[in-house]
Amino acid sequence: MSFFKRLTLPLLIVFGIGLLGFAQEFVPHPIAHDFTEAMTTCFKIMGGFAMILGIYSLTHLHVTRIRQQGPGWGYSMFVFLGAGVMIVLGVWNDGVGPLREVSEGKTYFDWGYDYIYVPCQATIFSILAFFMASAAFRTFRARNVAAAMLLIAAVVVMFGRVPVSETVGRWFGTPDVFTNATDFLMNGPNLAAKRGIILGVSLGGLAQSLRILLGIERSYLGGQD
Amino acid sequence: MTTPQNKSNKKTSSVEMAVLAILAVVFLVVSLLAQFIVKDADGHYYFTTGADLRGSLGVILAAGLTLVMYSFLYRDNALFKIAENLYVGVALGYMVITITWREALRPEVYDKFFNAPTWGAFREALLYRSVPVILGVLLITRLSRKHGWISRYSYALIIGYGAGVGIPLTTHSFILKQLYAGVAPLQDAIVGKTSPALFSWPWFADVAYPVFLTALVVVGTVAVLFYFFYSIEHKRTGRTFSQVGIFFLMVSFGASFGYTVMGRVSLLIGRVQFLLYEWLKIPK
Amino acid sequence: MSSLPLQPRRIDLSRWVIYGLVCLAVLLPYVIYVEMPFTPSKEAKGLYDQLEALKKGDHVLLAFDFDPASQAELRPMGRALLLHCFRKGVIPVVMTFWPNGLNMDKEIIEKTAPEAGKMWSREFKNGRDYVFLGFRPGDTSFILLMGENLKTAFDKDYYQNPTQKLPGLTDVNTLKDMKLVVDLAAGATVQAWIAWGSDRFGFPLGAGTTAVSAPDMYPFLQSRQVVGLLGGLRGAADYEVLLNVNGDGRLGMQAQSFTHLLLVGLILFANVVVFIRWIRGGKD
Repeated sequence: MSFFKRLTLPLLIVFGIGLLGFAQEFVPHPIAHDFTEAMTTCFKIMGGFAMILGIYSLTHLHVTRIRQQGPGWGYSMFVFLGAGVMIVLGVWNDGVGPLREVSEGKTYFDWGYDYIYVPCQATIFSILAFFMASAAFRTFRARNVAAAMLLIAAVVVMFGRVPVSETVGRWFGTPDVFTNATDFLMNGPNLAAKRGIILGVSLGGLAQSLRILLGIERSYLGGQD
Repeated sequence: MTTPQNKSNKKTSSVEMAVLAILAVVFLVVSLLAQFIVKDADGHYYFTTGADLRGSLGVILAAGLTLVMYSFLYRDNALFKIAENLYVGVALGYMVITITWREALRPEVYDKFFNAPTWGAFREALLYRSVPVILGVLLITRLSRKHGWISRYSYALIIGYGAGVGIPLTTHSFILKQLYAGVAPLQDAIVGKTSPALFSWPWFADVAYPVFLTALVVVGTVAVLFYFFYSIEHKRTGRTFSQVGIFFLMVSFGASFGYTVMGRVSLLIGRVQFLLYEWLKIPK
Repeated sequence: MSSLPLQPRRIDLSRWVIYGLVCLAVLLPYVIYVEMPFTPSKEAKGLYDQLEALKKGDHVLLAFDFDPASQAELRPMGRALLLHCFRKGVIPVVMTFWPNGLNMDKEIIEKTAPEAGKMWSREFKNGRDYVFLGFRPGDTSFILLMGENLKTAFDKDYYQNPTQKLPGLTDVNTLKDMKLVVDLAAGATVQAWIAWGSDRFGFPLGAGTTAVSAPDMYPFLQSRQVVGLLGGLRGAADYEVLLNVNGDGRLGMQAQSFTHLLLVGLILFANVVVFIRWIRGGKD
């Protein structure tokens, strides 16, 4: 039994499956297609179970907070209120039950999604517009050459990507000047930097994949018992 | 003991509560007027719940939650925290019902095993789906300290396959194709075209500018890669070249900042449009 | 036990002035209309031309890989692309790798199909004129499966109809049968579609991204791994102009312009003040 607890067998699985995954890219035989199909169907099913881990983590966090009466524990009750109501509505499913789909129209479960989840999530991220404006005004300073370049690029792009830049350009007889400046920045220096980052990250990812296949990187397996 | 500062804070808190109460009443009145008062063809206003009462109440709730969320701009407060935690709870419930049950476990496990139309379909499910189901269950053992080692086998399969498949695809798409694209425009600009007259406007537009831009991109890409290469010390020429990389990165970050501002403002515009057109029902 | 005296709450005026100005900049365009025509970008035109070149009965896969947090930017793109497909008689096949947006994606399709029906006096029926496949987890490996066998990847659509029997998916067996794939992405799924999808199976890929991610797409645009790009709300507005329809994209452009002008003004103002102080030898 202790053999199964060690990392040997999982690492062999990683190497074997990884090698097969690598090889199937170059094998035109139908068996390679069948292998891909089998693996992705397998992951499709495992994905559902993986969600349970996320659900447990969130639940555990709030249960612990309530049990220990930590700071803000009262608010955690609202987490379970929201979750409970949604689960009940989902299981009831407008009387149809959890094993079938409602053929048409919106259920109360959909209502909860549309009018609680959607506006809350959309609004939380939209608050950042205010914080961004405030932070840009307070801290965006051209203190040196590099910061000045950042500032100029930001101003050109912010101005060039909105319709008012063409309107202003028309006043001076050149409607495209700001758009062309933005295009130059995006297709020149920005492209170069992003490409450099993509190449660097990809090379790093490649090295990491090789480390995983060869068993050098083992952190995802959680350490040895 | 009540100090003058305590007393002023208590007073402020009472003022805040009064303002909140007034705002709540205004919100309810405005919501009811906007959602339930309609104008007929003769120009008369009348009260009606309309065809979609559930939808109207939902819009009022959504608008209320939106404005409560925006109260965070004033300061962190109890109403915001309640709305935030309610949202987390609703998200959790949605994850359980839709993602875990309806889109994964029901079609892939329950329907295939318990709703199989024929004995042959059930046998096929047993043959091909038992192993993934078992591996999926093994994933959950990660939560146990004593039996967490069992989940390694599931993770080994997922990570191993992803790493193996990723190597050729990453190399092809993100390295080789990007390197080729770095110099391909030079070929397009110079080879196979009839050259326009030197220093004419078509020559600038079709030859000189693409060549200049490509050269700029190549130099920039190499400079950025060199900047991130920490295995050798950046001295003298290397340091200058690394500085060039920094300048390219600064321009790129500036452009990204500009786009990020655009993105965040768009999200705010989205919410404002909801409040104006769906809550207050202002005509577009 | 004595308690520390509470500090009087300090009001930060500059923060409130900025918040107020941002609110004003966003709300003002909905009160005062200012004509601001604009030219669609080359990137948006690239995607538009690709779809415009398709014939009636061709299939286009639309991956709605976003959630409500990004709906302000990506939902107008989704609507515009669906309208374009319906206008051309092309069959849009919609799916998602983002489970949190599933209900929202369903709503987009179920609202746009009747809207298109009113615009072009036709009925667009689910299963025949458009297909909604729903959600599946695991983008990278799943794209591979879709590329090998789409109907195994999605044996049923969102409404539990077997995909083998859907008239809208006749003659479609793999991703190679799609004449175009467009990924509307709030995250990094475009890169997954490039590496695991278009580069491997050879279909043209378009991208619609949030403004935050748009600068990252330019290397892929230049290498032609992505045939067209819609970046942020401006991208949605560009597509609506090309399609000659009104929508939330075009509607939001004025507010976007005013807010950007405000932010640029604030940043430049702050830097000019600092510069003047620096010239006078004062402290920053």
